[in-house]
Amino acid sequence: MRRTMLIVVILFFAVSSQVLAQMNAETIVKNAFDYWRGEASVSTSIMTIHRSDWERSMTIKTWTRGESDSLFVITKPAKDRGNGTLKTGNGMWMYNPKVNRVIKLPPSMMSQGWQGSDFSNNDLAKSDSLIKDYVHTLEGTKADQGKNIYLIKSMPKPDAPVIWGMIKLSIREDNILLSEAFFDEDFKAVKIMTAWDIRKTSDKLFPMKWKMQKSDAIDEYTQFVYEKIDFIKSLRKTIFTRANLKNSGL
Amino acid sequence: MSIELKMAWRNIWRNPRRTLLTIAAIAFASMILVFMLSFQLGCYETMINTSVKISTGHLQVQAKGYLDDKKIRLVIKDPDQVAKVLDTVKGIDAYTFRASGFSLVSSNKRTYGVVVIGIDPIKEARVSTIKSLIRKGNYLKKDDEYTALIGEHLSNNLKVDINDELIILGQGRDGSIAAAVLTIKGIFDSGIDEFDRNVIMMGLKGFQETFSMGKSVHETIITADSLGDVARVKQEIKACFANAREDGYLAVPDWMEIMPGLLQGIQMDLVSGIIMYIILIIVVAFSIFNTFLMAVFERTREFGVMMAIGTSPLRMTKLVMFESICMTTVGIVLGIIVGSLVTLYFQNKGIYIAGTEDILKQYGIPDRLYPRLSLISASAGPLIVFMITFVSSVFPVLKLRKLKPVEAMTKG
Repeated sequence: MRRTMLIVVILFFAVSSQVLAQMNAETIVKNAFDYWRGEASVSTSIMTIHRSDWERSMTIKTWTRGESDSLFVITKPAKDRGNGTLKTGNGMWMYNPKVNRVIKLPPSMMSQGWQGSDFSNNDLAKSDSLIKDYVHTLEGTKADQGKNIYLIKSMPKPDAPVIWGMIKLSIREDNILLSEAFFDEDFKAVKIMTAWDIRKTSDKLFPMKWKMQKSDAIDEYTQFVYEKIDFIKSLRKTIFTRANLKNSGL
Repeated sequence: MSIELKMAWRNIWRNPRRTLLTIAAIAFASMILVFMLSFQLGCYETMINTSVKISTGHLQVQAKGYLDDKKIRLVIKDPDQVAKVLDTVKGIDAYTFRASGFSLVSSNKRTYGVVVIGIDPIKEARVSTIKSLIRKGNYLKKDDEYTALIGEHLSNNLKVDINDELIILGQGRDGSIAAAVLTIKGIFDSGIDEFDRNVIMMGLKGFQETFSMGKSVHETIITADSLGDVARVKQEIKACFANAREDGYLAVPDWMEIMPGLLQGIQMDLVSGIIMYIILIIVVAFSIFNTFLMAVFERTREFGVMMAIGTSPLRMTKLVMFESICMTTVGIVLGIIVGSLVTLYFQNKGIYIAGTEDILKQYGIPDRLYPRLSLISASAGPLIVFMITFVSSVFPVLKLRKLKPVEAMTKG
């Protein structure tokens, strides 16, 4: 009888601590993503696609709003100026000024690279999939420069329509996402995103450099360097419309 | 001619009916093998040529690594240089240049991801069957640049018809954004679903402009005069590139490397064919074994007499072996001659299988199948028959050596 009690108690603690760890981890991830996206933001960044034998940079202006709306417009080089991508809750559209047409991206293309980069359309969409479709567990913490960094393992929920077999996140205690590693179904590393150069920008600490690195090719990566990022309270809804995609004021 | 050979020849004609039957069995088996093998190899050649002509060519010249990973950056920088080399190599029927890239294609209603292939309309028609696969509208003309050919499935998916506009949006060779408006000129139906669903073709010049390719291309598609020439042509092209040194970045894959699936399919079919042939050969071997065994039993008395007058067992073995070789040789030679004649007849006329022409035509295969006589198909089967009959005649001979003259003579 006593032994059974003991087992029950132990089990209870084991289960509850696991649940706690999960809940904890989920809050950490959610906070980090909310922090990353902010209420709304306007930014200018330079995206560099690096390959072993060539490299290409373009300047991109970005507007984001809430959880699902974003607009990307290329400003440089001149050849690609005015090309834009709009993402709202309903889907993703691309605009090209040369053919003057807006094209809706089919769902099957969401895992393709955006403009030839290592960031997929999905990565760009920063969709809620990571929060909704995965179970997060806190695997450990480590200290770095006086701050705690949470190491979180995210496994897909059964039957969730996801691409990745596992995602590993490291998030600093002040909600800054430092890295996100993507693994396939066999838990083989596919690509890893890292963020660094954390600076104060519009009253908020934010990493100014982001890099997506393929795991099987060291010299293939895409890097985002923010020139300027402003987090603001809100943006007009009309910015995130197809009409504005065509006419983004560039 | 040795005395044994002369005796053997006379012996086999002492019972003409039995001999003729045995020879006929051997000849028939050889004939069937010659014809079947020729037919099978001929079908393979038709299959290969058909697949090759829909898209891949017998051989390709492309940048190293392009076969494994079709990256738009892996190009043939100077196609004119490649053309110069190809013009000097004998055995090339035709060649053409292609460029291809992944792209979004969009009608007003829908968008899909497809492979866009830039083709040289005139040269392409000489290499591939695409021109004959157009079901609606027309094939591209020489100067068509921003006009497109589209697969039937894809046109249904996009809900477009000829003269409608398509937008393509992809990424150019320099990483810039490639976009163009194309007018649909023709709709093709190759019968290969994957091809009809995922490919659109446009003028090569238009492609190069849209995708910032400059003068470069991705693939040189080559068809050889015949399948047998492929290996030699490949070697010759490689040698020419090696001499030109600067072209060290080019690879010359052949159809087996480009379509490993087709080769595996053929190998599998060949194995099942070989199993059939083995069964056929075993049946023939047993009938021959039986004939020889019977012959030896019938002639026990004769062998006894021969031994009694001092014929050595070795000599007698030789005699019987010669008999079997004589019969087999006559049978095989007859079989090869008749088999080759039958094969040659059908090689010219083709074999028409009634009721299949519509299906075959859909896949671009001619409605007649042609066997193809070659040294291998004419000799491989008969050679095996020869060896099997030789082995099956050894057993009766071994029996012969155990005979005792007196016992043998008193028998039968």
